[in-house]
Amino acid sequence: MEKILSQEKLREWVDALDDCEVYAPAFADSVWNFARVKAGADIDLSHTNTIGSVKEFAFPQREVFFCFEKKDGVPVLTPTLPDPKPTVVFGVRPCDGRGMPRNDTVFNKEFEDPYYWARRNKLTLVGLACNQPHSPNCFCQSVGGSPHAEEGLDILMTDLGDRFHVKGVTAKGVEAMERGRDAFDAVSDADQAEVEKVHATSRSHSQRPLGNLDAIAEAIRESFDSPLWADMAQHCIGCGICTFLCPTCHCFDINDEVINPTTGEGERVRTWDNCQFPDFTMHTSGHNPRGDLGSRLRQRVSHKFLYFVENHKTQQCTGCGRCITECPVGIDIIAVLERVGQS
Amino acid sequence: MSNPSKTTEVQTFEPRIVAFLCKWCSSAGSDLAGVSRIQYSANATPITIPCSGSVSPMYILSAFNKGADGVLISGCHPGDCHYMEGNYLARRKLYLVKELLQFIGLESERFRMSWVSAAEGVKFAEVVDEFVEDLRVLGPQNRLKAER
Amino acid sequence: MVNVEEIRGYAAGLLEKGEVKSVLGFRRGSASAFAEPCTLIEASDAASLVWDPTCLNNLALYLVKDRKQQAVSKTPDTRPVGIVAKGCDSRAIGVLLQENYFKREDVVVIGVSCEGTGVVDPRKLSAKLKGRTASRVTFDGADGINVSVYGDGTETVIPAREVLADRCLECRAATPTLNDVVFGETVEARGYNEPFHAAKEAEKVSEDERWANWEHHFDRCLRCFACRAVCPMCYCPECVVDSTTFVVTLGTSAEEKANRIRWCERSANTSESAVYHLTRAIHLAGRCIDCGECERVCPVNIPLRLLNTKLEKEAFEMFEYQAGHDIEQASLLSSFRDEDPNSFIR
Repeated sequence: MEKILSQEKLREWVDALDDCEVYAPAFADSVWNFARVKAGADIDLSHTNTIGSVKEFAFPQREVFFCFEKKDGVPVLTPTLPDPKPTVVFGVRPCDGRGMPRNDTVFNKEFEDPYYWARRNKLTLVGLACNQPHSPNCFCQSVGGSPHAEEGLDILMTDLGDRFHVKGVTAKGVEAMERGRDAFDAVSDADQAEVEKVHATSRSHSQRPLGNLDAIAEAIRESFDSPLWADMAQHCIGCGICTFLCPTCHCFDINDEVINPTTGEGERVRTWDNCQFPDFTMHTSGHNPRGDLGSRLRQRVSHKFLYFVENHKTQQCTGCGRCITECPVGIDIIAVLERVGQS
Repeated sequence: MSNPSKTTEVQTFEPRIVAFLCKWCSSAGSDLAGVSRIQYSANATPITIPCSGSVSPMYILSAFNKGADGVLISGCHPGDCHYMEGNYLARRKLYLVKELLQFIGLESERFRMSWVSAAEGVKFAEVVDEFVEDLRVLGPQNRLKAER
Repeated sequence: MVNVEEIRGYAAGLLEKGEVKSVLGFRRGSASAFAEPCTLIEASDAASLVWDPTCLNNLALYLVKDRKQQAVSKTPDTRPVGIVAKGCDSRAIGVLLQENYFKREDVVVIGVSCEGTGVVDPRKLSAKLKGRTASRVTFDGADGINVSVYGDGTETVIPAREVLADRCLECRAATPTLNDVVFGETVEARGYNEPFHAAKEAEKVSEDERWANWEHHFDRCLRCFACRAVCPMCYCPECVVDSTTFVVTLGTSAEEKANRIRWCERSANTSESAVYHLTRAIHLAGRCIDCGECERVCPVNIPLRLLNTKLEKEAFEMFEYQAGHDIEQASLLSSFRDEDPNSFIR
């Protein structure tokens, strides 16, 4: 389904989704991030890209698995499967959209993760094509994506200046459009031509090149023991910015949070974890197989451009560029891949 | 008395105080209050520590995190420290903790310090009673308490 | 104006004569318009050094890293390290020396005065550009920052005062006091804002508003720990909020595991993040030299510097203590005076 939506009617459509929780980018604290939209009038799609990725809607930073307590000396477990309201997220950039099928694969491969899917199945992603790259570090086209890629999105919107072209990509997306059907107009031939022109222009903007991805995977495989990694991680501070902001990083940790030690009451909780933290691979014995920052950088890069490819036939990177832009010390995954490729 | 339901609510709220008491003075002071049969509020959970100077700011944050309505730290009067200067170091450190807690907007009445010697059972009872009354007015501490 | 050629020449000289094993400085990176840290090994690399208001990092962090590497190395290279340091960075080195983290002869401080400017705050710049990226940021020599906006190529000049980091606006010592050489004119205060201005402003609002603000910030924290990772003073081998040293043996019972001390859970909850940030602030009391790195690196822009400057303000006003000013002085929390405030105690 393809429709035209004027800038003013966007509010009407959002208001028609009143039985859902609607989120959209908002500029607060000097940063764009997803925030709850209470009314259509609050929506602002002039954003660049959000600092946090859309993964958090299906894979929140904290997920309670179950509660536990001791009753008459016997442990009792109470499952706590999330049951969220249908959620619609506006303004998802195509790179983030492409991240979701990659996360879906992970949480569905050998074991269907009920917590992830309880949220994911209620989630409708409304994408917004990028008419031009937001930052010099965008590289979606270098990893098989595009500024108007539909993969992973339920709806793709394209900004045509005074109006949006809105395309329902999945059944879920079409349904969300149906709910605001009065807001939409038919697509004219002129509109269609303009969308194609805008998309073509968006693809023509120069992005950071990456070269042949198969060759990169091969180069990474061969440089496992290379001293390059330590050199490239020389200024790494070992924080979690690159992975926490990444639309595809999905590693987690599971902890028991004891509320009352006397009654043994508590929760088992999943939280995001991060391969750059020293305790990520810490063994009980005290030995850490990835004890230095070089091996941790290698792990992050290898996972995205080699291991994930081996397992799932695609890169675990969609070129959003957050890890480059937000790195406090300028570690640049493209420069890293270039150097590994040249070695 | 115009709002009976509210009055009941206030009456049922019993503030919980975590009291870190120096073993050389305030802890003995609280014992003295007990053996002297001084009536005072039973809302403080005493934790005996070797010296007020040994209080880590983490104890205070942790107590608030686990739901304490108030935290009291009580040590020896200036000049009386068993370890010569522990209470002076505590005074400086805890002044900063107090300022920091106020800065982030925790109600300033919730963190308190006192000097109570082993002979001051009456003062100890007064300090606790006063604290409990102030906390009753404030109500439960929810700002730093973990939402678990 | 600081002539960057002089810094390059000096750094090259140190490396040539073998007086240092490496020089820590800034270079242009591929990731952004801001400079990135670099470690020079060869004198010929010195040409890549840059100096401008995009040199944000406090490189003293890498002195700490070097010291840690030496500690685990079987053949440690104990030659001194050269470091390009701004006024605030030199105070960081001062605190590390005061705490005996390394010795004065282990470091050659190439001081650079920030003169009339300082460094740009990426957060303020982002607010000006509403999230868009700058592809080039330069100081126009007078009182403006030239910014090329990525995408449309527009150039704007923003008054320096509006995008300089708060710490620079409030700076009292723009020239490195601890140094082996200083480039640029000696400038003390810049006179933009009074010291501790931002913290004083934050203090002015009501208690409820203060909590509303901090609850909002603690709630947004991702617990990426970038603030801790970037801080030269956060050098503990293991942080108190990570409980990895809990020893589990065959005999450790489930109760012992469940009851082990965890000051702060891993969940990025408001309450847990509050414990983390407040603990960090207290652990930096009298040690924070206001390089503003914690605030700069925060991906969600939590104004972390306020917590630290609030405590430094108290240290200065109540205890006449300034972190990093005198490497011989006793540290703030290991000293006291009879006239310290006592009236808050019952």
